[in-house]
Amino acid sequence: MQVEFLKWFAWRSFAFTLVANQAVTPLIGLAVWSVAMPGQGVTSYYVAMLLVRLLTVSYENHTFSGRVYEGAVADDLLRPNAVVLAPLGENLAIRVWHIIIGLPVIVVLLLVVDVDLGTQNLAVAIPAVLVAAVLRFLYTWSLALSAFWTERAHSAVGFGSTLVFLLGGEAAPVYLLPDAIRPWAEALPFRAMSGFPAELAAGLVPPQAIAAGFIYQLLWTAVFAVTAAAVWRAGVRRYTAVGG
Amino acid sequence: MRILRLMGRIFALSLQREMAFRTDLIFSLLMSIIDVAAGVLALAAVFGRVQALAGWRLEEALVLLGCFEIVTGLLNTFIEPNLAWFTEKVTGGRLDDVLLQPLPSLFMASLGSCRPLALRQVLLGAAVLAFGVAKAAHVLTPGGVLAFLVLILAGVAVTWATRLLTATAAFFAPGMEPSVLYSAAWQLGRYPVSIYHPMVARLLTYVVPAALVATLPAAALTRGATPGLLAVGLGMGVGAIAVAVFAWNAGIRRYTGATS
Repeated sequence: MQVEFLKWFAWRSFAFTLVANQAVTPLIGLAVWSVAMPGQGVTSYYVAMLLVRLLTVSYENHTFSGRVYEGAVADDLLRPNAVVLAPLGENLAIRVWHIIIGLPVIVVLLLVVDVDLGTQNLAVAIPAVLVAAVLRFLYTWSLALSAFWTERAHSAVGFGSTLVFLLGGEAAPVYLLPDAIRPWAEALPFRAMSGFPAELAAGLVPPQAIAAGFIYQLLWTAVFAVTAAAVWRAGVRRYTAVGG
Repeated sequence: MRILRLMGRIFALSLQREMAFRTDLIFSLLMSIIDVAAGVLALAAVFGRVQALAGWRLEEALVLLGCFEIVTGLLNTFIEPNLAWFTEKVTGGRLDDVLLQPLPSLFMASLGSCRPLALRQVLLGAAVLAFGVAKAAHVLTPGGVLAFLVLILAGVAVTWATRLLTATAAFFAPGMEPSVLYSAAWQLGRYPVSIYHPMVARLLTYVVPAALVATLPAAALTRGATPGLLAVGLGMGVGAIAVAVFAWNAGIRRYTGATS
């Protein structure tokens, strides 16, 4: 991770690009929902959402899928450590850079908009963010592994991100979705990796629903851990590098 | 005229090249449909809760989203393929190739290549716009349609000019990458600018022209245009082009090439 952190120091202007693109969706949500439903906790929710996005970003379609296409995974497979460790280290380094670059934006938001993130709410949200960070990595990693079968891993991950945008609480907070969709959005994995920690930080989850939210998070994390392991095994069996 | 003929040939050649990858075409179309549908569904989520957003009804917001997608599609087809990562061309000296060609450098640098299949976004935007107009059941007047067309054209001109201006910054401050903020701020244009803080709304009107691209044409089509609105649009179009051309010429004079 230390090596990856220093590598991304050299790419810091590109990191600005990534952070700007990560920040724009919560900022739009903040503006839209603050006008549409003022006083419903949306301001705190979208500031928390920005923080959650920066802490859970995953770009394995960029950091790993390309190595499959280049045949570089052949080198990775010869190393004594698990292949997933390098993308995981890079993922953590990128997240640290996202927070470093994104923190001033959050500070400005805290100064200019009315945000109420109580200490108790934040304490409950921290474990949810940690689980969301693991879940988002496993989700993106599983989709990025489609590179073993198709040249469109970027599109697969892009499609996955669109689902998170629509059903994870980014386009609209899940608690404000239409009644017909809300139960589905609460049960699917997308809220667990995005909206749920933000809702907790903003104090928008009723106490009786907090445990259910964590159970969904852990359940989906287990599902994607198994999925990622299975897809990896199948992908490696299929993989043939240059000269293989 | 010569430039237009050349643009036509560049377009045809690029189209032939892109059509060679037909599976990619179908997949890209599918992804574009999903992206535009996501935008529409996001609007539907908002308007499922409220009747109007900063004075805009759902059908008007759909027209606005359609305008945004149309101009974004044109940006991605004709402008971005040339100006993306422009700073690297300047610092790496690859701009020499453009300057050595027997055509105006401004044209070659900003419109010298294109991605015709990105026009799918324009078609999808037009479909969203038509859906919004049909849903509004608003009788279109010839004046409103004409004003809409004028403002969309002005929006495209301002888009080209402001995107060129951000790229031109590479001549003066190569360490900066203002196009990053430009593309992020651009996304704010998919909603009426009146929902944003007044400072941001002004930024989106006069610096990054998202308001001119979507809000003003949509307002002209659904609510009618005033002569003042048209004058603002045209004035901004002409003014932005003049500033961009001036900045480009100043930048080119400053450029020293790869080997000097």
